[in-house]
Amino acid sequence: MKTPRNFIVKFAYFLDASTKYNSIKTFFYNLLENDNYPYKKYFDFFMIFVILSSVTLLVIDVKHHVPKWLDALDLYFVTTVFVVEYILRMWVYSDVHKIVIEEYEEALFFSKSLKTSTLLKKIFKDKWEYITTPSAIIDLIAILPSYRGLRVLRVLVLFRAFKMLRYTKSLTSFLEVLKNKKFELITLLTLSGFFIFIAGIMLYVFEGNNQNPNIKNLFDSFYWALITISTVGYGDISPVTPEGRVVTMLIIFTGIGLISFATSIIVSSFSERLTMLREDRIVQHLSKKESITVICGFGLLGRLVAKELEREGVAFVVIEKDENLAEMAYGMGYKAICADATSEKVFSQLKIKTNISHVLCLTSDDIVNIFIAVNVKSLNPNVHVSARCSDEEVAQKMYFANVDQVIMPEEIAGMMAAVYEGEPVAFEVLLSIVDQKDKIQMDEIEITPQSFGDGKKLQEVEIEAMRVILLGVLRNCKTKDSEFIFNPSDDFILRAGDNLVCIGHVTAISNLKRKMQ
Amino acid sequence: MSGKIIIFGFGSFGRHLYKHLSGLNKEVIVVVDSKNYDATIPSEIVPRQINIKHNDDITALDIDAKKDVVYCAMNKTAHNLFLVLSLKTLYRDISIIAISNSFENARKLKYAGATNVIDLYEATSRRFVNMLTKPAVTKAVDEIIYKENDLKMAEIVLPKDSSIDTKLLSEIDFKKHGIVLIAIIDKEMGDELSFIDHRIDHKLDGGDILVVVAKKDDLERFVSFLHS
Repeated sequence: MKTPRNFIVKFAYFLDASTKYNSIKTFFYNLLENDNYPYKKYFDFFMIFVILSSVTLLVIDVKHHVPKWLDALDLYFVTTVFVVEYILRMWVYSDVHKIVIEEYEEALFFSKSLKTSTLLKKIFKDKWEYITTPSAIIDLIAILPSYRGLRVLRVLVLFRAFKMLRYTKSLTSFLEVLKNKKFELITLLTLSGFFIFIAGIMLYVFEGNNQNPNIKNLFDSFYWALITISTVGYGDISPVTPEGRVVTMLIIFTGIGLISFATSIIVSSFSERLTMLREDRIVQHLSKKESITVICGFGLLGRLVAKELEREGVAFVVIEKDENLAEMAYGMGYKAICADATSEKVFSQLKIKTNISHVLCLTSDDIVNIFIAVNVKSLNPNVHVSARCSDEEVAQKMYFANVDQVIMPEEIAGMMAAVYEGEPVAFEVLLSIVDQKDKIQMDEIEITPQSFGDGKKLQEVEIEAMRVILLGVLRNCKTKDSEFIFNPSDDFILRAGDNLVCIGHVTAISNLKRKMQ
Repeated sequence: MSGKIIIFGFGSFGRHLYKHLSGLNKEVIVVVDSKNYDATIPSEIVPRQINIKHNDDITALDIDAKKDVVYCAMNKTAHNLFLVLSLKTLYRDISIIAISNSFENARKLKYAGATNVIDLYEATSRRFVNMLTKPAVTKAVDEIIYKENDLKMAEIVLPKDSSIDTKLLSEIDFKKHGIVLIAIIDKEMGDELSFIDHRIDHKLDGGDILVVVAKKDDLERFVSFLHS
């Protein structure tokens, strides 16, 4: 059976299996549509350049003569670029071969015969969906001026300027803002259209009968109505009869009302959108970074942790459900997203599969913390999750949910109090170590492979000479079966992966760190 | 030191304090405000109910200002602050440990006269951050402070005529005793706590205080060695 249908199906399977075809398609998809693709930027710049030069030629052509070769370049080169771009965009919009395969398999399953005509219809419908999107229409119109037969079409070059909207994100988001207020804007337009209609007709009735030499037809009076109601008031047409002036006075008042209405709609929708735009930018910015820490909850503890993390130079982002708190976090200069950390959306935006290394659940509600922890762990079990908790029973449940570390503030207080009991000096030492506010700090020094300490006896490192107290060595710090070797003997042999845990003055410790490199 | 431990409050803080302090072989008294009496207190603890606004109620607790240690662990910082003030006016020399939930409140409690303030959230946030930036330190601190095992931080007051009296620090091999010396109060140099950086070779005399980290039995052995 050598029908064209069989050939199409076979070809579809061939494309589906071809890695080369798929990788080429992905490349073009990234180049045209993926904002996160690093080279898309260059493509966008190139397109903006082409568009601007084409518009420049149009402007120059008004008074001066454009050399023939430049005109030809504009005609052939720019058109080719646009046509190729249009076709590529249509191509990457959807996978035709997948439609074919789907239809074919469905037909096989229900043992129906697959008609070539229905197949083509499906494909056409799919691509038609692309052709009718606003941006595709603009693209198409931008190609039209290449047809030089009609002079009017030259103006359509300006549509090429509209095309630029595609390449600059800020403009698209502006349109998006207006889109959100569609209902209000339509109401406004209808309302002002209605007023212009009434006022225009009234003026025409009063002054159109040769009373006013400037009003020759209905168009003139509508033009006058629009200029007046928008409070622009050129004055090229002005009413001469008292009736006309009354109409003017009335529509100036309605005009002021309408304009303030319009301003308030746009301003409010911008202020609503502004946070979203900002968050989009944060998400985009962060999705390029690796090993981000996420703080969930910006309460008392969240704020303190954020402050400390900033001091330590750790890249982090705050997720907070409460708008005011999120706003506050932003005001403090942190990257903050107002979102629900118990849902998948925000985490997948931040690319939890690859980019997030730690999640800290710091809300004051244990149940919410568990919820967040489970959400994160179910999305990617490799993320290190630590949670705050105020109850032992809840802590058990958290460990059951594979939370890596549970920290109970009240427990810490209890522990510290137990140390204090009868030993106030030891407690003071402990406090200054825990707080890390003084110059005396507790720090760790990692022994990396082939560094100074790797394979050496502890004696040879001469830690004491560096004015640092060695508390112990943590072996296999990164793994689960880490072991703290307290006060190791002088002939203890260090090896890569060990961490020296020391107490000392900040400078002394950094000296030792340098030595151990 | 055979004084009592008095815990004010049995909320989320007080509960944990009780859990850790009751294991120290000392008399522990739990005091709660009769107005905010919490019915979930386990039956084995018999809390004293007082009205913290009345000085008479507090004096009735029979606090020995020289020996006893008071923990202010009410849920509300305002109550803790009030308690610290009333205790300080009643007993000038009393040791008070107060629990605070912010740096700001810690300052107020210190001002009111608390001997030491445990800044809960500060300590917690430190732990969260350390876990990220200094995992080894966190694990070490866990071993020393938070986990219930042999390893602990302790202070030793040198007795008069101890076995190491008048010796210099450099002459003593602490490592051999299984002890890591962290800080010292050298009475000859005042009451100031100084961390050991091997810069000054302190002379050890009776009354000096050593702050050490050690295993429990090593510590006991060392203390008995001092007395020998």
